[in-house]
Amino acid sequence: MTTSKPWPRMTARDEFRFLADLVLDRSTGDDTIVALHDQHSGTTRFANSQIIQNVDTRRGTLTVTVAFDGRRGTAGTTDFTAGALHDALARAERVAKLSPKDPEYLPPPDHRSFPHRTAARPETMAAGPARRLEYANEAIGQCRIENLQAAGIVSSSLSSVGIAAGNGLFAFEERTDARFSLTVQAGEATGWSAAAHRSLDHLKIQERTLTAIGKAKRSAELRELPPGRYLVILEPAAVAGLVTWVLWMLDAKAYDKGTSPFSGKLGQPVFDKRLTLQNLPDHADLLGVGFTSEGLPSEMSTWVEQGVLKQLSYDRFTAMMHGVKTIPTMEAPCLSASRPAASRVQDLVKQAERAILVTNFWYIRTVNPADLTLTGMTRDGTFLVEDGQVVAAVKNFRFHESPLRAFNQLVACTDPAEAVTSETSKLLVPAMLIRDFNFSSVTKF
Amino acid sequence: MLEEIEVERAPRVWQDEDTMPNPTWEEYAELALKQVAVSGAEYSDIRILHSQTQAIDGEDRRIASIRDVEDAGFGIRVLYHGGWGFAASSILSIEEIPHVADLAVDIARGSASLAREKVTLVEEPVHRDRIVSPHRIDPFTVPLEQKTTLLREAMERVQQEAEVVRSSAGLWARRDRKLYVSSEGSHLEFDLLAVQGEFTATARHDGRFASRSFTTPHLRTGYELIAEAQFPAEAPRVAAQAVEKVKAPAVQPGRYDLVLDAEHLSLTMHESCGHPSELDRALGYEANYAGTSFLTTDKRGTFRYGSSHVNLVADNTEPETLAATGYDDDGVACQKWDIVRNGIFVGYCTNRETAAKIGDSRSRGSNRADSWSSVPIVRIANIGLEPGALSFDDLIRDVKKGIYIEGHGSYSIDQRRYNFQFGGDAFWLIENGKRQHMLRDVIYHGITPEFWGSCDGVADRTQRRRYGFITCGKGQPGQSGWMTHAASPARFRRVDVIKG
Repeated sequence: MTTSKPWPRMTARDEFRFLADLVLDRSTGDDTIVALHDQHSGTTRFANSQIIQNVDTRRGTLTVTVAFDGRRGTAGTTDFTAGALHDALARAERVAKLSPKDPEYLPPPDHRSFPHRTAARPETMAAGPARRLEYANEAIGQCRIENLQAAGIVSSSLSSVGIAAGNGLFAFEERTDARFSLTVQAGEATGWSAAAHRSLDHLKIQERTLTAIGKAKRSAELRELPPGRYLVILEPAAVAGLVTWVLWMLDAKAYDKGTSPFSGKLGQPVFDKRLTLQNLPDHADLLGVGFTSEGLPSEMSTWVEQGVLKQLSYDRFTAMMHGVKTIPTMEAPCLSASRPAASRVQDLVKQAERAILVTNFWYIRTVNPADLTLTGMTRDGTFLVEDGQVVAAVKNFRFHESPLRAFNQLVACTDPAEAVTSETSKLLVPAMLIRDFNFSSVTKF
Repeated sequence: MLEEIEVERAPRVWQDEDTMPNPTWEEYAELALKQVAVSGAEYSDIRILHSQTQAIDGEDRRIASIRDVEDAGFGIRVLYHGGWGFAASSILSIEEIPHVADLAVDIARGSASLAREKVTLVEEPVHRDRIVSPHRIDPFTVPLEQKTTLLREAMERVQQEAEVVRSSAGLWARRDRKLYVSSEGSHLEFDLLAVQGEFTATARHDGRFASRSFTTPHLRTGYELIAEAQFPAEAPRVAAQAVEKVKAPAVQPGRYDLVLDAEHLSLTMHESCGHPSELDRALGYEANYAGTSFLTTDKRGTFRYGSSHVNLVADNTEPETLAATGYDDDGVACQKWDIVRNGIFVGYCTNRETAAKIGDSRSRGSNRADSWSSVPIVRIANIGLEPGALSFDDLIRDVKKGIYIEGHGSYSIDQRRYNFQFGGDAFWLIENGKRQHMLRDVIYHGITPEFWGSCDGVADRTQRRRYGFITCGKGQPGQSGWMTHAASPARFRRVDVIKG
C-alpha cells in the first residue's frame, strides 16, 4: 500500500479562534455561539474474512447559534470559507428573528477554563488506512488459522472540537477514538468481542480475537432451554447495555413531570446498596473530555452512591430552576461495587451452581418506560453454566426485565472492566451474577 | 443480456434552473475520475452532495430548537483489482479532489492486497438523467412563523386536555442536490425533497403515563403533506386517546387475533421482511453489526415465508416514496420486483456487487449511502404488503377475541430476524366482531415465518397507506437508511400477546 499525501491538517486552536471571531465580530445577536467539529476518521470493515469496506473521511462542521431577546436560531455548514461562515451567521440570525421567544432560553455559559484532559493520543492520530488494514488482517489471520470466518471493524479518528461565544466562552480540544469489534462465525455459531479506547495501541486485537474465537468454538452445539427466570452471569458488555438505558432515563425534566421511572426516587435506593455509578472523566480507559457540547466543564460526579440515587441529568434551565449550580455530565460512566466478590467473569462462573452466561445483549428497547422494563436478545455467546463450569451453548433468549429490578437482585459482581457494544458508548462496568432474570422467549438459533 | 424489468421514474426535469448546483461540480467529477483512471482501477464513481435540513422541535408548548443545517462534500469510490476503496471530504476544492482520489485508490490497493475473492459488478446500462422529486410547495419557502405557529397550536391543543402533562411536536424538511458520475459514463443529477411532521401527547394517571402520537409519513413531496395533515384538528382526538390509553385496562396475556393498521405494519414489515431480504445480510456482510438473515440464498424460490395472502412487493418506482430516487448510488435504475409472492420468498434487495454473488444478471438498485461521506450499502427497498379484497370492517367482523393496533411502539428483533416483539401506539379490544374500548401495555411476539403464516386477510386498496423511515440503522460506520412501506390493514390469527 502506498502512502498518499497527508490531509490538510485539522483545525487548530488558533484557527478555530480565528473562524469563531469571523462570526462573533459580525453577529448582531444578543448572544452568539460557534461550535466546531472537524473530524478525520477511517474504518476498515471485513466479513467472511475479506475486506468489504475500506473508508477514510474528512468532515468539518461549524454550527452557529444566535439569540435575540430569547429568540434562538441555529445554522450549520461544512464550508469553512469566510463567505460560508457569514452565510451561516445570516441564516441563524434570520431563523432567530422569526422564532418565538423561548421561555427557557438562557445565555451561553461563560466558563473561561476547563479541565485539561489527554483526550488525544499520538498513536491514534498517526494511524491511517495501512495501520487499520494491518490490525484487520491480524484478526482475519487468527480466524483463518482456526478455519473460522471473521467479520468486524477496525476504526480510528481524530477530532478537533471547539465552542466559543461572544461572552468569552472558549474551549478547544483534540480527541482521538479507536475501535475494534469482531464477530467470529463457526458455521451457525458466533462469538464476539469489542474494544474502544483513545489509544489504538490499547485495542488488544490478539487477546480479543482469541476471546471471540473461543466463544464461537464453544457455541458449535446448541441446547434449547425453556424461557423463564434464571440466575444469570452478565458479562460487562451485557451489563453496559442495561446501564446505558439507566443513564438515558435520568432526565430531570421528565422526573419533574412524573414521566420518568425515577420520579420521586431522588435520595432513595434504586440499585443494590453495593453499587455506585460515577462519571470519571480522568480515567485513562474511559473517553473523558474537558467540556461538553454546551460548553460546560466535565467533572467527576457521583450519580448513584451505594445504591441511592444522588443525581439527575439536567438541561441548563431545569438546573437553574432546581438551584443546581454545577451541572453533572456523564460521558465517562463507571459502575462499581463496594465489595466485589470476584475479579473476573470466570470467578463468577465458578460460584454458580446453575446459570446462564450472557456475552452481550442486542436490540434493547423499552417496553414500559414507567418502570424501565426493557426487552432485547442475547447475542454471540450464550451458555449454560452448571457446577461452576460452562457445559453447553444455548439458543438465544429474549429478555423482559428492568435494570431497576435486576440491579436489586445482585448476588455478586466483579471489579469494573472495559465495555462497549454497538448500542452503547464506552463504559467501565462489572460482570454481574443476578438472580431471577426474566427470559421471556427463545429464538431459533 | 439484461432481464426485462419494469422501470419507471419520477419526473425528470429540473423545476428551477436557478437552484441547480454550481456547474463546477461537473469539473470536480471529471477531475476525480481522470485522477483515478491513471491508476488502472476497473471502476470508480464520485458523488457530490449538498444537503439542506431544517428541523423544528417543540416540547411542552415551547419551540425548543430550530436548526437550518447545510452539509456538503464529496465521496470517491474506487474498485481496484477487486478491492474497494472509498475516501470523502467536506473540502470541495480543485486541490482536494485529486488528493482524495489518490487516497481512495491507495485504500483500494490495500483492500485488493488481501482479497482472496475479487469483487465484480454486474452490468448496468449507462444512464444520463436528471431526477426531481414531485412537490407542489417547497418546504423551504414556507415562512418559519407559519411552521412554529402550527406546532405551538398542536401542542397547546393537546395540553388543553386536563390529564395531558407533556407535549411535543416537530417538523422536518430536507433537500438533497446530488451529482453522481461513474467511470462507465453514467451521469445523474438529483434534486430531492423530503418532509415529515408529528406531535405527541403524554397523559398521566394513577402513577402511570402513556403517549399517543400523530405522525405524517416521511415522503418525497412538498409542504402540502403538512398542510393537508390538519394538525390542529387532529390534536383533540390524539389528546383524548392519550388519556383513554393511560386509563385503559391492561391487556390480559393470551392468544389474540390481531388486526394491524398500515402504520403499525410498516414497522413489522421493515423489521421482519425488509431486513432479512437484504442480500448483503444473507451473505454475511453485516454479521458483526446489524446481523445476518434467516432468508439464506438456498431458500430463494422455495421457502414459505407466509400464507398465500402475503404478497410483499419492493417498489422503488412509486412517486413520493423515499427510495424512489430514480437511480441508486450504484447508478442502477429503480425497479419494482417481488420479495414474497403468494407466501413464497422469491427476491432480495441487491446491489451490483452482491447480485453477482448469487448469479443475478442485474442489480435490483438498492445500493444507497446516507451522505457524501458514506459508502453505499444494500438498503431495504420500498417494500409493501399488496392489498387484498376485504374491507376494514370485514377484518374486524370475523374476530371473536382480538386486538386492533395502530402506530408504532416498542420493537425488537434478533439478528437473524426470527424472534420479534412489537408494541404499538394504540390498542383496542375486539370482541365478537366489534371494536370495544382501548387497552394498554399490549406486546405481541413471535417467529417471523410463523407470524406471516397466520395472516388470513388483507384489506383492499382503498385502505392502503404509506409510512417511511429515515433512521434505519445499518453499516459500520453507522448509516441511516430511508425507505417507505405501504400496506392495507391485515389480520393475523392467534398471536401470542403479553403484558408490557
